[in-house]
Amino acid sequence: MNNTFLSLTIAILFGIGTFLILRRDIVKVIIGLGILSHAVNVLIVSVGIFDGTRVPILAGSYNEAETTGSVFNDNLAEDILSPVVQAGTHIDYVDPLVQALVLTAIVISLATTAFILILAYRIHEEYGTTDIRELRRLWG
Amino acid sequence: MDSSTIVMLAIFIPFIFAFLVPVASKLLKQRIGWFAVAIALLTLFLILKITPIIVHGDTIYGEIVWLPTAGLTFNVYADGLSVLIGLLASGIGVIIMTYSNGYMSTKEDLPRYYQYLLLFMGSMIGMVFSANTIQLFIFWELTSFTSFMLIGYWNDKPESIYGATKALVLTAIGGLVMLAGFLLLQVITGTFDIPTILHDESMIQAIHGHELFLITLVLIFIGAAAKSAQGPFYIWLPNAMEAPTPVSAFLHSATMVKAGIYLVARIHPLFAGTDAWFILVSGTGMITMVVAGFLAFRQTDIKAILAYSTISQLAYIMTMYGYTTYHEPGIGVAAATFHLVNHATFKASLFLVAGIVAHEAATRDIRKLGGLRKEMPLTFIIACIGAFAMAGLPPFNGFLSKEMFYESSLEMGVALGSPFTLLIPAIAVMGGVLTFAYSIKFIDGIFFGRRQTRGLPEHIHDPPAVMLIPAAFLAALVILFGLFPSIPVHAVVEPTTAGIIREDVELHIKMWHGFTTPLMMTIITFMIGLGVYTKYGAIAAWQDRFNLRYPKISVNYYYDLLVQNAQASARTISSITQPGTVKTYMSALILTVVVLVGIPIILLGADIIPQSLNFDIAVYEVLIMLFMVIAGIAAALLPAYLPAIIALSALGYLVSLLFIYLKAPDLALTQILVETLSTIIFLLVIVKMPQKFRESIPTTTLVRDLIIAGAVASTVFIILINATQGIIPPFESLSHYFIENSITLAGGRNVVNVIIVDFRGYDTLGEISVLCVAAFGVYNLIHSRGNKT
Repeated sequence: MNNTFLSLTIAILFGIGTFLILRRDIVKVIIGLGILSHAVNVLIVSVGIFDGTRVPILAGSYNEAETTGSVFNDNLAEDILSPVVQAGTHIDYVDPLVQALVLTAIVISLATTAFILILAYRIHEEYGTTDIRELRRLWG
Repeated sequence: MDSSTIVMLAIFIPFIFAFLVPVASKLLKQRIGWFAVAIALLTLFLILKITPIIVHGDTIYGEIVWLPTAGLTFNVYADGLSVLIGLLASGIGVIIMTYSNGYMSTKEDLPRYYQYLLLFMGSMIGMVFSANTIQLFIFWELTSFTSFMLIGYWNDKPESIYGATKALVLTAIGGLVMLAGFLLLQVITGTFDIPTILHDESMIQAIHGHELFLITLVLIFIGAAAKSAQGPFYIWLPNAMEAPTPVSAFLHSATMVKAGIYLVARIHPLFAGTDAWFILVSGTGMITMVVAGFLAFRQTDIKAILAYSTISQLAYIMTMYGYTTYHEPGIGVAAATFHLVNHATFKASLFLVAGIVAHEAATRDIRKLGGLRKEMPLTFIIACIGAFAMAGLPPFNGFLSKEMFYESSLEMGVALGSPFTLLIPAIAVMGGVLTFAYSIKFIDGIFFGRRQTRGLPEHIHDPPAVMLIPAAFLAALVILFGLFPSIPVHAVVEPTTAGIIREDVELHIKMWHGFTTPLMMTIITFMIGLGVYTKYGAIAAWQDRFNLRYPKISVNYYYDLLVQNAQASARTISSITQPGTVKTYMSALILTVVVLVGIPIILLGADIIPQSLNFDIAVYEVLIMLFMVIAGIAAALLPAYLPAIIALSALGYLVSLLFIYLKAPDLALTQILVETLSTIIFLLVIVKMPQKFRESIPTTTLVRDLIIAGAVASTVFIILINATQGIIPPFESLSHYFIENSITLAGGRNVVNVIIVDFRGYDTLGEISVLCVAAFGVYNLIHSRGNKT
């Protein structure tokens, strides 16, 4: 179960990001996108915790690895699938999959941020302004 | 080589080499046209190679399984009909591409021109050899598309664009209607395969008896009529004359417009023998024949005269394919097929003559032309052969097929009984009279009369051999087919006719049949035709006056009205939905999400705040979160760029700290590195961008944006605290697999890393590609700077 304060922080960051991408100044919009991507990343990671208590790095030797940890309990074993699914036993790790996804997302957001920054820079160079409304007027 | 492989090669060779044209043009420069001629010759040769099989009375079928799971196969079917049109497309293609070498100025964009011509040729051949209706439809639309590109070849002329758009709109809409017809046909027969339906007598019976019979026929026929410029769809063909003249000769007289005829002939076995077929096909044909022939009178552009005559001549063929009775479903099929061949030869030669005249005299206006017979004697002879064939004079091939037209009209009239016994032959004669009149006008207007000096070059002469020989070759065919009709008849007309009416036929076509009724009709035609020709100017003037007085009695008027209305409403709608400010789009997106979340919550009446909330938290975590909020607010509120960016990067580092508490050490590491990099990039850019603009937010905007931001924040909060309330997924998590197999399969302890580089390695490859693309984008953006200043 997620901490309420954490959820609140993420929500506030979302609000700030939204407010910023509605601005007329391109640089402010880019800052807003940055805040939004932080908020999204934290959100995804935070929902992958479940009741896990351990970082998903396995212990033990390579020969007899400890691989029994699971990321959450399921109730499949109590249902009609009980013959095929073993009852989830103990909960150890936080979900590694969401972390892997977010890792990719962080790197990609660097790429997009760099790109739109240079775009903004070129727009400023060509048109001498970073005001979106002014730009629309200049384009006609 | 297997004969079906040859057919497939004939389809694909033009396509493959069309894409090689730009490469070849690097080597051949201005002589690229001869490359295209070679490809067309190769295609012609391939189709000629399978012709003996067809003449022998066999058919060819072959298929490539394309997507077996979806039941998609690429299959080809060759019978007399498809070989006939295939020969026309490749044979006339050779002639036209040769002629283009002289006609097209070397300053033009020649690779583009020959590319489209080859693509068109391939599409046409692909269409006629298609063994299923869906494949036929695809190639059909490809011919529409290449025709569009060729009509609009001179894309700086507004008339070209208008003509190209009109052709595309009408033929593509026709094609879509046709597709609907094909789907209905599939509903009736349960198959898309053409040969399967053709060879199954019980299926044809089922089509005839089915309640969807009429609507299927009408839908498919609309497609054919649109393509062949029949009925109200005729309006696109005159405007298509904006294309370069070789294109008009190739697409808009000899081949592409024959696609509609081809389709009618193809579905003839399925639908003929019914009243609906006769009324629809012959009715449309007869009306178009007379109206288009009549409208040809007021045209002053020699290509426009030919365009209207093409419409009228296609209507002849359509009419003949429509002649049907229950006992004898194919009265006019042989005559129609023969006329199809003849029309291709004489009309293409006439178009080439028109091109020569326009090329040498620099005008296509028949009022300015005249008296050119002494200056262009060879062109004059070719023009006479073509025009006399069109008028139906002996000993040219047009005479023979027109006799057959009259004969089949008589037969149809007799079959239907009074009052049609007289009416149908009378309409046929009327069409013949009009044809006769404008054919004579074409010769008289260009080559006889007074030689004008104003607006014409001083010295006009016959064109170079490369333009003359293709036209002369077609004229020679006109005479050859006239004197020895058995050559084309045996090679293509008989197998085609046999394929359509599905029984063996043997035709005996001779110049002299004795003094028969059709011959009398011909003589009557010539006499009335000469009479009408003396009134030619008066009729044209009356048409002009009529058109001026009643502008609304015109199909073009309604087409233009429709297009204008469509454009106007499109503009209105897009100005409402696309105001252009990013802010509007963003607000719409965000609010949609908020509403999508809000509605279910309100409807379900769920508790927005769950009962059990987790407030258990360590002090240092609270501090991190507090700082995050402060950094975020600072980034939003600080007016200058530099402090705002520093606040943003502070937020980034705090996020990486938070990742540690969220038990994601890899993320924390990545976040620190990435944050450092992006802060550097930010600073590099900001240093070069002095902040000239400071937004002053009006109170109303501020309130509105704060409300939007608040709505988003509360939506996210509600989702989060509800989503993590110990909901247990109903399926096993994928992550278990990764944890269990991380060491055994990948030999790594850090599961996150193993997922990134091993289990989901392709995702990482994609991520690297994104970085590369972004890097290229950045590089190009920076370097695009030098061009302007």
